[in-house]
Amino acid sequence: MSNRTLRAFFANRLAMAGMVILLLLVLGAIFAPILVPYNPTSTDFSALQQPPSSKHWFGTDQLGRDIFSRVIYGARVSLAAGLISVLLALLLGGLIGLVAGFYGGWIDDVLMRLTDAMLAFPFLVLAIALAAVLGPSLQNTMLAIGVVTTPVFARLIRGQVLAERPREYVQAAVALGSSDGRIITRHLLPNILGPLIVQVSLSTATAVLAEATLSFLGLGVQPPTPSWGSMLNDARGYLSQAPHMALFPGLAIFLAVLAFNLIGDGLRDALDPRMKK
Amino acid sequence: MFLFVLRRLMGGLPTLLLVTVLVFTLTRVLPGDPARLLLGEEATPELVAQIREELGLNRPILVQYADWLWGLVRGDLGHSIRGNEPVAPIIWQKLPTTLELSLFSLLVAIVIGIPAGVLAALRRNTAIDAGVTVMALSGVSIPNFFLGILLIYVFSIRLAWIPPSGYVEPWVDLQKNLLLMLMPAITLGTALAGAIARFTRNSMLEVLSQDYVRTARAKGLEGRVVVYKHALRNAAIPVVTVIGLQLGGLLGGAVVTEQVFSIPGFGRLLVDSVFNRDFPVLQAVVLISALAVFLINVLTDLLYAAIDPRIRYH
Amino acid sequence: MKKWLAAVVLWSLGGLGLAQTVTVGLDADPPNLDPLLSSALVDRQVQNQIYDKLVDLDENLRIVPMLATSWRVEEDGKVYVFNLRQGVKFHDGTDFNAEAVKFNLDRYRSAPGSRRSGELSLITNVQVVNPYTVRVTLREPFAPFLAILSDRSGMMVSPTAVQRLGADFGNNPVGTGPFKFVERRRQDRIVLARNENYWQRGLPRIEQLIYRPFPDDDVRVANLLSGAVSIITPVAAKDLATIRSNPNLTVNNFPGIGYQGIWLNHTKGPFTNKALRQAFAATIDRDVVDRVVFLGTALPSNGPFPPGTLAHDKAIPVPKRDLALARQKLAEGGRPQGFSFTLTIAPGPVLAQLAQVYQAMAAEAGIQVRIEQVEFGTLLDRAAKLELEAVAVGWSGRPDPDGNIYDFVRCKAPNNYSGYCNPRVDNLLNRARTVRLPEARRDLYSQITKIIQEDLPYIYVYHPQTTIGVSRRLSGLPVIPDGILRFRSVSLGGQ
Repeated sequence: MSNRTLRAFFANRLAMAGMVILLLLVLGAIFAPILVPYNPTSTDFSALQQPPSSKHWFGTDQLGRDIFSRVIYGARVSLAAGLISVLLALLLGGLIGLVAGFYGGWIDDVLMRLTDAMLAFPFLVLAIALAAVLGPSLQNTMLAIGVVTTPVFARLIRGQVLAERPREYVQAAVALGSSDGRIITRHLLPNILGPLIVQVSLSTATAVLAEATLSFLGLGVQPPTPSWGSMLNDARGYLSQAPHMALFPGLAIFLAVLAFNLIGDGLRDALDPRMKK
Repeated sequence: MFLFVLRRLMGGLPTLLLVTVLVFTLTRVLPGDPARLLLGEEATPELVAQIREELGLNRPILVQYADWLWGLVRGDLGHSIRGNEPVAPIIWQKLPTTLELSLFSLLVAIVIGIPAGVLAALRRNTAIDAGVTVMALSGVSIPNFFLGILLIYVFSIRLAWIPPSGYVEPWVDLQKNLLLMLMPAITLGTALAGAIARFTRNSMLEVLSQDYVRTARAKGLEGRVVVYKHALRNAAIPVVTVIGLQLGGLLGGAVVTEQVFSIPGFGRLLVDSVFNRDFPVLQAVVLISALAVFLINVLTDLLYAAIDPRIRYH
Repeated sequence: MKKWLAAVVLWSLGGLGLAQTVTVGLDADPPNLDPLLSSALVDRQVQNQIYDKLVDLDENLRIVPMLATSWRVEEDGKVYVFNLRQGVKFHDGTDFNAEAVKFNLDRYRSAPGSRRSGELSLITNVQVVNPYTVRVTLREPFAPFLAILSDRSGMMVSPTAVQRLGADFGNNPVGTGPFKFVERRRQDRIVLARNENYWQRGLPRIEQLIYRPFPDDDVRVANLLSGAVSIITPVAAKDLATIRSNPNLTVNNFPGIGYQGIWLNHTKGPFTNKALRQAFAATIDRDVVDRVVFLGTALPSNGPFPPGTLAHDKAIPVPKRDLALARQKLAEGGRPQGFSFTLTIAPGPVLAQLAQVYQAMAAEAGIQVRIEQVEFGTLLDRAAKLELEAVAVGWSGRPDPDGNIYDFVRCKAPNNYSGYCNPRVDNLLNRARTVRLPEARRDLYSQITKIIQEDLPYIYVYHPQTTIGVSRRLSGLPVIPDGILRFRSVSLGGQ
């Protein structure tokens, strides 16, 4: 990415707001053990569903656990799920896209039919089915979301490769007898980095949302590990008695997803020459 | 035109065939024995074996697949394991509900999204533009189950204006149906409204900067006419694409929304069939949702032609 | 009253006209209404309105006449002779008589796929003595026999309808019961109408009975509050206060006949060690479970037989939480620092909450509980194969004590998820089946309870109560511990 692109990105106030939120979340996730006043899984049967107070900033849940501590620890689950599943999709999709775009022919046909078939499913429907197949756990949730996100990257990268392949610099490298792997890593990848980064941040937003959704449906992270989605699911049953149980994890998901969307949006604008003033 | 549709549908056949393979494989590797689940707490090993035999679960997997596929060709979606009745009527019973929910939320999304996007484009780089952008991104970012819960809390629990959940068929009581559909439609439509607003804005900006719009303006055409007659029409193409692409997402979102508001629709059927390991129902639901996405894509292509006279299909 | 409630009540009244309709909110859609194929408990709620049974239960779980007006037990409990009610017709006009009883019992015994064949496996012969007398012969004396006939195995369905409809009978059920089947929409409603020719004169009092499934606790309650349904069961503990505070509604809860707890696997994992089983069991505080998870609506359990049932023994104490004992047992078991195991549960908010309470209580003794949620079918499958270290599965309960224990703790019994095998227990269980004197049976069951409380194939934690939320307009609902709502004599008063 050029310096101009970066400057445009850093000048975008909304994108910077996204960066700040993300930074706070990452810091919260890393330093969770230092930050939280309580063990996120320890119960207190004498303090059930207490509203926010100076003792429990976000109140307590149906087992008397401190919601603030759980929300902070939940950032670990949420960010891990978002980033790792997208990384997985990037690797898998990148491989498929590069191979399909670079070699073309029947390999391309087969791989693209497969991604077509996967893209034919509504994202969440496929994620639910996969999560159910794999069984509920954090790893499996990440795997399911990663697999479902894969075709997006496969298509994007294939398209970029097809666009770049006929260009002179690639042809020159081919003529000079560079190995396929070298051409891909040295020449193709750097040139498609921009759109890829945009897609990564937008897909991470979707992945964080998908993890929360699967946990909300009971197909994700297992208790007592705090996950924002499952906290919201717990809270649903106590909405009239203890609305705070829903409010804080819900806001946390919202902010995390918003941060990735803001960043992705800002990057896209910065990379798009038409959007320049 | 007709030929185009036909070609488009035929071209999708290999993909759809692959979709059936994926659906079938997915449901067959699901852990859990439907026979066991059907028998519940009264299962004995003999009965489980007997039921598995009856359901044909002991046959080779390829035979089961071929059987299912042959059924599909004849329009037979199979027999629900749990309900002991054909799958097709179950699906037809649920589909209109989800369709209503989807259309209602699409309406919400368009009514909010397009004007907001146009406004943002016309007032580019003002506080209004920034406000629309923030709102749009927030709409895309808020988990629909959280939004649903918030709406229930505010309008059902605090204000007590709208019942928290339930469903009445429109032909039984239209007024009540619309009232009950309001919160689910907003819940499901918000994300789409955000996406539409974003795309409308960007698309409008692009069109507004083009020569013919400038010419129209230079000719002294009134601003509003330019916007509505020329710019919006041309800006609509990418917006229609986005709506088309997002409709599939709407179907996925309906799963969660129906769960939150207890609407007996297609999405609930999906979740129930996952938890009940009702393979035939699950296969049909997933297959039909894929089919719906496919058909929406064809429909989107056709809409282009309607909007943009330059596009002709041969 | 809340504004929208009023509006909705007006709407629903408008929609119903003047018909005397009672709408019932259940927690699941009954999968199969044919007693032959029915395995879900919720089926019985609807079946009991459509079909009469040979015998029924009263408030104290005593057997009372229904389609059988009287019976004689002969040959030391091996032969039952039933005299049948005369002049009863099925909804399709078919006569109810001895032939119909023989048809039904033979069908349950031997039709392919019958879920009833196990319960009735001891029957060797059903003989029509005369049009209104049936003689049933058993291979050996079987004390729970009449209680079994008070449930699905005793439901009489129309032989002509079965012959006409075959496998589709469950979608068009025909019985002799107080209500006739009208229609059903899956996951939405089952509509029943008054049987005008019901054999009990003047009954039923209401014209229409509609069942609607609401799997979500909140939705079920919301529908009761809005007046869309007149009665719901079950009610989640957290919602009881809301219903009680509504002047138009009332809560009806009474002890059930089932139990909930944890199976401990004797064949693999830490629980092969008896001391470790006892250590974990000693960490459980049943009162805390009752208070935190069930808000005081569950009964702490001392064994498989809840209070109010024949075999309940008050002299057996409810085990208390005892951390000192737990630590002592850990040391005895060679694991003074504690140990860890996986507790497998089915998905669901209450179960998850319960599991986390167990987890917290065990942690204080150094026992680490890993919770694993597995979908119910998989869970049963793996539990039956003894693959799980510990699994939380309860039992809905049966009116006869035998139904709460025989298929569970016997060696290799179908629902024995611990792999427990104790010939002494088996011996006692078999004796309790043949003895008919209630006191003698109770004594045998007490002996069994004491042995299994020591051996711990299962930790009996609590007995759930049947919870019903009901409109005050509705009256005449009998309180019968099996938890089935019988609408025969129910009536609906004015506002």
